[in-house]
Amino acid sequence: MIDRRNFLTTVALGTASAAVLAACGQPSPAQTGSADNPVTINYTWWGNDDRAERTRKAIALFEAKNPDIKVNGNFTDFPAYWQKRATEAAGGGLPDVMQWDLSYLRDYGQRNQLLDLSTVKIDTSAFDKSLLPSGQIRGKTYGIPTSTNAFAVYYDPAKLASLGIAEPDGSWTYDEYNAFLTEVGTKSGGALFGSSDYTSVWWMFNIWLRQQNIEAFTEDGKLGFSKDDLKEWWNKVADLRGTPAIISEERITQLLPKSAFGSNATASEVTWDNFMAGYLGDSGAKELKLVPVPSDDPDNLGLFLKPSMLMVASAKTKNKDAAARFIDFMVNDPEVGEIFKTSRGVPASKTQRDGTTFEGTDKLVVDYEKSIEKYLKDAPEPPIVGFGTLEASFKRISADLNFGKVDVNGAADAWFKEAEDLIKQNA
Amino acid sequence: MTQSPTLSRRSTSSDLPQPRKSRQRGTDTRAGYTFLLPWLLGFIALTIGPMISSLYLSFTNYNLFEPPKWIGLDNYISLFQDERFLQSVGVTVSYVVFGTPIKLAAALAVAMLLNSKRKGQGFYRSAFYAPSLIGASVSIAIVWKAMFGDSGPVDQGLSFFGINLGGWVGNPSMTMPMFILLTVWQFGAPMVIFLAGLKQIPGELYEAASMDGAGPIRKFFNITWPMLSPVIFFNLLMETIHAFQIFNAAYIISNGEGGPAGSTLFYTLYLYLRGFSDFRMGYASAMAWLLVIVVGVITLIFFRTSKSWVHYSGDSK
Repeated sequence: MIDRRNFLTTVALGTASAAVLAACGQPSPAQTGSADNPVTINYTWWGNDDRAERTRKAIALFEAKNPDIKVNGNFTDFPAYWQKRATEAAGGGLPDVMQWDLSYLRDYGQRNQLLDLSTVKIDTSAFDKSLLPSGQIRGKTYGIPTSTNAFAVYYDPAKLASLGIAEPDGSWTYDEYNAFLTEVGTKSGGALFGSSDYTSVWWMFNIWLRQQNIEAFTEDGKLGFSKDDLKEWWNKVADLRGTPAIISEERITQLLPKSAFGSNATASEVTWDNFMAGYLGDSGAKELKLVPVPSDDPDNLGLFLKPSMLMVASAKTKNKDAAARFIDFMVNDPEVGEIFKTSRGVPASKTQRDGTTFEGTDKLVVDYEKSIEKYLKDAPEPPIVGFGTLEASFKRISADLNFGKVDVNGAADAWFKEAEDLIKQNA
Repeated sequence: MTQSPTLSRRSTSSDLPQPRKSRQRGTDTRAGYTFLLPWLLGFIALTIGPMISSLYLSFTNYNLFEPPKWIGLDNYISLFQDERFLQSVGVTVSYVVFGTPIKLAAALAVAMLLNSKRKGQGFYRSAFYAPSLIGASVSIAIVWKAMFGDSGPVDQGLSFFGINLGGWVGNPSMTMPMFILLTVWQFGAPMVIFLAGLKQIPGELYEAASMDGAGPIRKFFNITWPMLSPVIFFNLLMETIHAFQIFNAAYIISNGEGGPAGSTLFYTLYLYLRGFSDFRMGYASAMAWLLVIVVGVITLIFFRTSKSWVHYSGDSK
């Protein structure tokens, strides 16, 4: 007869050790797959539903062409995206392939989290040679640009027409742009705002600095501008805050996760030109147009083509070959270009660009980037470590400014303190 | 709460109580520990271990990727020069100070209503308890956000009565009331405990008081409150500790950013942002340990003051 207590001891021990053994016994994934036994790679990106749908199509196409590889897709919105990546990186479990932003390339690349893509087979012969360095750090290639984007002012022609406001021609100073925003707010009686506070846009601040030939960061990674520059910038719309020219931060918060412009609450917005597809989808507008950003120097718009996103692979991926083939496909394949059009930006690879037909609003984006060609300056280097954090704190402090929680001086002090603290931390 | 791991209750089928042999007791103990083993392993590997390493990390500069650099007390010192940190303390303290008493008052009030014998009490008890089962979930936070958004049910309901506040979610001065309502709504757990405590109060006490002409208020303060004081103390302690740890709702309602204007920057949310958005794990660890210390001190103060107002049965007082 089985003794009750011994029996229980045995069962308990057995269960515990089974769990331990099961944990040890994970089979290691195969290096290469076949059609019958495909390898699986994980791919993650940020974006809205529009991008999710396009990406799913691209993945299906890739799987059809590469039956030996399966791709698991996953996406979130931009802020949460980076929190997730940090958690995964800390645990050594970054997805095999990821959509990446220039702002975070150094944070992860310099800290050996990303695969040097020059060690795997990816065809970059169709890329503009001036663009590739923006994915490289200290001679290693961490990211391949999928596409380029540039800053622009969006506006909705139908909304302007209904208010009887002439469409802008895109050569305007900041004062003229401010006057435009005020006109929208006044004529609509507050029903439609001019735009969201453009001085809260970190990249627009960088462009304004470039318009005055100031580099935002010095070569040794310090701040290249002064507190007074920042104050001057935030003061540009000091008289507009709290008027119908600029939408309140309360409204913006309520509208999240949609943007103010995408929710038809504003008539214009200063941002990247590849947001076109997202805005069209969100707002349901028939047509949106793009013009260059304001500048007080008509010959220097401070504009540049930025890799709108990069494809990167985890340094720890067990399927380097599959990851490389997926990246190559995503950046070079003409059919992928057809799927994304300009929603990722204008395709960076000539093969993909030439293989894509751009019509309607997509053509507007392509034409816009062509039209500003003569103003373009070199693509920026991968920004300093912590650039993404600086961008987030810039946005947050600008919002505090619009809530009236701080004045411009207080906001500039707060941002400089955070920025200097961060630069010191990462030194 | 120190329960011996020994399996104290023996098989009831044994014929006669026999004096236990020490060898048998040893087997008992071993079986007990064996059953505890999975939990113990988890406790050591998933709680104690991380706590110790986080204590170490709190004295370092650690960005998740590179080895931690020892910097002594720098993290703790810079906490007190960090305006966002002080803001997060302010937000959390006001949540605890206002939310917890209101929640407990609601719980006690409803428990007293449900204590009387009426038809359908079982249904009401379940109905009032339900929110605390689902309240901490992600979906409720999303529902809450929708309810309190622009032209959400709350906005429209108040507008009907001529109160035009707009959406609460985007208004920095309305987010705290919104969070307090969310926690008060989840009063079910303390309510059930109050209810159990109320059932323990002998009915004779109330009868005797009625005979002496005591009204309901008198009865509450002279019978219910002192008789219930151990339960009130327990609930106060648990809910206070719990309130300090609010995270899920804050994270979801503010899109993980603590906005608008930092009005929902709860302590744990800022801790998370510091660690996982800014890669300042050492700093985040220092924040975590400071919270442990503060909650510990508050608990200690509660226990100290409890002597003067908590009455246990059998106390000579």
